[in-house]
Amino acid sequence: MLRKASFLIISAMIWLTSCSNDPVNDLSDLDSQVFITNRDKSANFKSFKTFSVSDSVTVVQDNRSGTALTSLDKDLLSRIITNMQNLGYTYVALDKKPDVGLTAARITNTYQDVAYNPYSSYWGGFYGGFYGYPNYYVYETSESYWSISMLDIKNADTTAANGKKFNVIWDAQIRGGGLANPDYIDEMVDSAFGQSTYLSLK
Amino acid sequence: MVPIDIKMKKLIIAALLFAGILPAFAQEQAPKLYTLPSPYDRYTHYQVTARYTAAIPVGSFSNNYIDKTSFENYSIALEWVFQNSFSVGGELGYSFFKKRLPRATYQQSDGSEISAIQTRTLTQYPIQAFVNYSFAPKNATVQPYVQLSAGASVLDYTLYYGILADQQQKIRPTYGIGVGSKFLFKKDGNFGADIRVKYQGTSFDYEYVDKGVSAINASVGLFYRWW
Repeated sequence: MLRKASFLIISAMIWLTSCSNDPVNDLSDLDSQVFITNRDKSANFKSFKTFSVSDSVTVVQDNRSGTALTSLDKDLLSRIITNMQNLGYTYVALDKKPDVGLTAARITNTYQDVAYNPYSSYWGGFYGGFYGYPNYYVYETSESYWSISMLDIKNADTTAANGKKFNVIWDAQIRGGGLANPDYIDEMVDSAFGQSTYLSLK
Repeated sequence: MVPIDIKMKKLIIAALLFAGILPAFAQEQAPKLYTLPSPYDRYTHYQVTARYTAAIPVGSFSNNYIDKTSFENYSIALEWVFQNSFSVGGELGYSFFKKRLPRATYQQSDGSEISAIQTRTLTQYPIQAFVNYSFAPKNATVQPYVQLSAGASVLDYTLYYGILADQQQKIRPTYGIGVGSKFLFKKDGNFGADIRVKYQGTSFDYEYVDKGVSAINASVGLFYRWW
């Protein structure tokens, strides 16, 4: 009886600890969003004046890619134009030799991931309740995100083997929840440009 | 008639004798039983203690990563209480620290900037052996003690940027030093309460946590003892 009582206390403990809580499941879509920006440190943004934007969005799904222009994509591209203009750049058509070009992509990666569960064998070894629960488990996960890139057209490498080669001088990734919500598009693009203050010509 | 009278007399005498002697015998025995030392004084006995803990981060762990007090901590301890003032045992625990920061932009070592709401978490499962020195006898109502402990912790550092996680899992040494007291509910009883204040340190070095995980743990618990 005594042993049973202490065993019950221990079992309750395991139950409490084995409930894996997700500390970020209370975040709203907007709060869950992450904006990651990076730039080429050697690029001199003040030397650029004009820009253009690709006429469609690249869609990358695993190893396949294509282009698309949904209304969501249009919203995204037009908000990129608004932001660049606000930073002091002049919008020109693609054939007017812009200094920089901007492209956008919707990327979805599905991959199998192997995760290690460090607790299973340790609990299992103690009280046997969790046998059969493997240390390693495989899960499939899928993640979609927006990617915006700025290419240096002014200083393109014309000696490259297959045509011109453009360096990416700035890129942004928008990840998290609500990325396909048209209500959030403007705010998302604004945030990505907003944290890259070095882009400003003003 | 006569033989019956004799029998009756014998019975009455016997009844009187027993009536007088038995209570006297019982009265003599009771105090003797009562003054026997308690089995908890005579034998090494066992004790199991379940604790609920408030953990207050201290040191660089508090300054650089999470300074918010955690109320999600539990532990269970099994103890062998010796006839002298010492007891030894093992304690298995669970701690969960969490802090959420408003949206901010973080500069990364590769030169990139990340704007996100950070959710900082640290989960810890310490398994420790401990030695207690008690300042009071086994059946005192209040039994203060000091404790030293050492063992290892399974640590999970997960820092969320929005919903993206940066995770690191390690097994690292843990130690602790504490003071506390047991409070027996009933003299010679099996149940009691336990309060303890303990400093616990665990070595760990990853990103924001560069000088280990340390906290002051204040706990209340219940114990059960048997022999």
